[in-house]
Amino acid sequence: MSETKTFLALFSDIDPAVEAMDRMREHGVSDEEMNVISGIPFTEHILGRPRVWSNVPRLALGGAIAGCLFGIFLAVGITNLYPLNVGGQGLVSGAPTVVLLFEMTMLGLLASTFIGVFLDSTFPSYRPKEYISEISDGKIAILYSIPEEKENELKEILSHLGAESIAPAERRQL
Amino acid sequence: MVATAEPLEQAHTTEAEDPHEHLMLDPKPRGEMNGMVMEAMHTTSWKFWVVAGLLGLIVLTCLLISWGYLISEGLGVAGVNRPSFWGIFLVNTVYWIGISHAGTFVSALLRVMKAEFRRPFTRAAELMTTFGLIQAALSIFMHMGRVWVSYWMFPYPNARGLWPNYHSPLGWDFLAINTYLMASTMYLFLPLIPDLAMARDRSTGWRKVFYRLLSLGFRGTEGEWTHLRTAMNIFAWGIIPVMFSVHTIVAWDFAVATRPGWSSTVFGPYFVVGALQSGIAAVAMVIVTIRATMKNMKYFIRPEHLDAIGKLMLIVSMIWAYFFFNDYMVQWYGGDKFTQMLLEFHEKGPMGWMWFGMLIFNVAIPFLTLWNKKIRRNPGMLFTIGLLINVGMWFERYIIIPVSLTINRMPFTWKLYVPRIEILLSIGTLAFFVLIYMVASRLIPLVPVWEVQEGQEAHGLRKVGKARVKTVSDIE
Repeated sequence: MSETKTFLALFSDIDPAVEAMDRMREHGVSDEEMNVISGIPFTEHILGRPRVWSNVPRLALGGAIAGCLFGIFLAVGITNLYPLNVGGQGLVSGAPTVVLLFEMTMLGLLASTFIGVFLDSTFPSYRPKEYISEISDGKIAILYSIPEEKENELKEILSHLGAESIAPAERRQL
Repeated sequence: MVATAEPLEQAHTTEAEDPHEHLMLDPKPRGEMNGMVMEAMHTTSWKFWVVAGLLGLIVLTCLLISWGYLISEGLGVAGVNRPSFWGIFLVNTVYWIGISHAGTFVSALLRVMKAEFRRPFTRAAELMTTFGLIQAALSIFMHMGRVWVSYWMFPYPNARGLWPNYHSPLGWDFLAINTYLMASTMYLFLPLIPDLAMARDRSTGWRKVFYRLLSLGFRGTEGEWTHLRTAMNIFAWGIIPVMFSVHTIVAWDFAVATRPGWSSTVFGPYFVVGALQSGIAAVAMVIVTIRATMKNMKYFIRPEHLDAIGKLMLIVSMIWAYFFFNDYMVQWYGGDKFTQMLLEFHEKGPMGWMWFGMLIFNVAIPFLTLWNKKIRRNPGMLFTIGLLINVGMWFERYIIIPVSLTINRMPFTWKLYVPRIEILLSIGTLAFFVLIYMVASRLIPLVPVWEVQEGQEAHGLRKVGKARVKTVSDIE
């Protein structure tokens, strides 16, 4: 069985990069074996790539529910745990409870969204990674893994399509 | 009389807009823009250090030493006393929370509305939010006096076996301001990550370590961008109601009391609009300052941006005038004896100059000037108008709080509030805000370069008839 190698092809524009990915697919490189690294976000429609699954919305929803429950605990729970009866009035009043629930729900929603980015992107991660600094200067990189015997064939195709450089992807300290 | 028509060709050339006037239509290579932003961060003249040193001195004396004196001597050294137990500390709290609204408004609301002019200065505005909230929080702690028992505000059973009372708007304040502070800090950080990664790639030494730590290992993979974009969309939608809630709750601190001048049903939206009024004016001041003092910023912040902010200032000024009149009208028409006395005191009392100043700065000056495109695009004029609006909005809060507290339903307590150590502390908080902003401007890329590039990728020119018109593609 041949060894798999990882390469990083660098393009200066999005169109040849997208075309290059189409050609790579035609040559048997699956979407799972490719990744696009860019200095600005491109949607999957622009890249012609399968949708990236994100857990952020679900985590946000979970956080909102947790926040709301904590708000209920603050507004209703603690007033019953430590009752303070004043002039025969009810322990829990409506309007202040709404304020509490709103603030805690929103805090839960936004905090879990923030944490969701960390979890889904595995941030922080200071391990060496395949990357070159030209990407943040606007270049578009295709990171792909292929069997060793396809190396030259794909190199030729990508060069023909305008790849500025194609080099084995080295993990380096960011 | 013979009418002469302008030659057709000339008419077209005079009407046509120069595409290069627009940042979105005047792209530069990303590497060059990165270099410009990094150079702006690294280029520091001796003037910067002189100003920073002076501000540091003011912070030391007016904020730290004065606050230490206040803590050691107690609130007796401040001017707050019966009947005005709420003085400049709370004026500053309301003012700074107002300033903080602009960041969210400019960044989140304009992001949701896809207003393209926002792109180069969203971060400058977001920084104002976080730094403004820090000043607001400091002012609350000053007002507390005994800061060492401030933990009593937390939902934590205290020595008397009671929990904080959530029936009090001050309890809501605690939750709302903390929620907003945390949310706006997170919202500042998320879109900053790609720019920190850019700074990491172009730095050496301690800066490299600093940016490497803060950029969290970001590379710009499809997954990272997807998670980031999803989160920013949720934030942009979620933080807007939080922003509205914060100043509404601050307004309720006053409006739920049955005091003359305070008991008003429109105080919530009136305060929110007031916050936007001062906040947007402050954004105008900040972007004019950044443009004038930081290298390469004239490329990113152009007259078109000043023009757009000027228009926003004018619109918000109109809305503020509407709410002010609405509030005034209902209070005046109600005919309550003490409210009538208060309204008369506002206009004819010893602080009448402040009341008229408020109207001149917040209504007359914006109305008379900002309709004019030349004035809106003039950095000096826009800065001056922004400054006057901020003075006017500070006056408004001063009138609402200590001046209105002077007149109550117990005439034997009437006494005009005279601030004492509060003046020093106010100067200290203002200096602290400017100082931390200056320091941040040397550490954080003030222009979100990736957002600018994204906008430039989306914009183009299309020929329609004889004209070339701007087009925007939805690539987000």
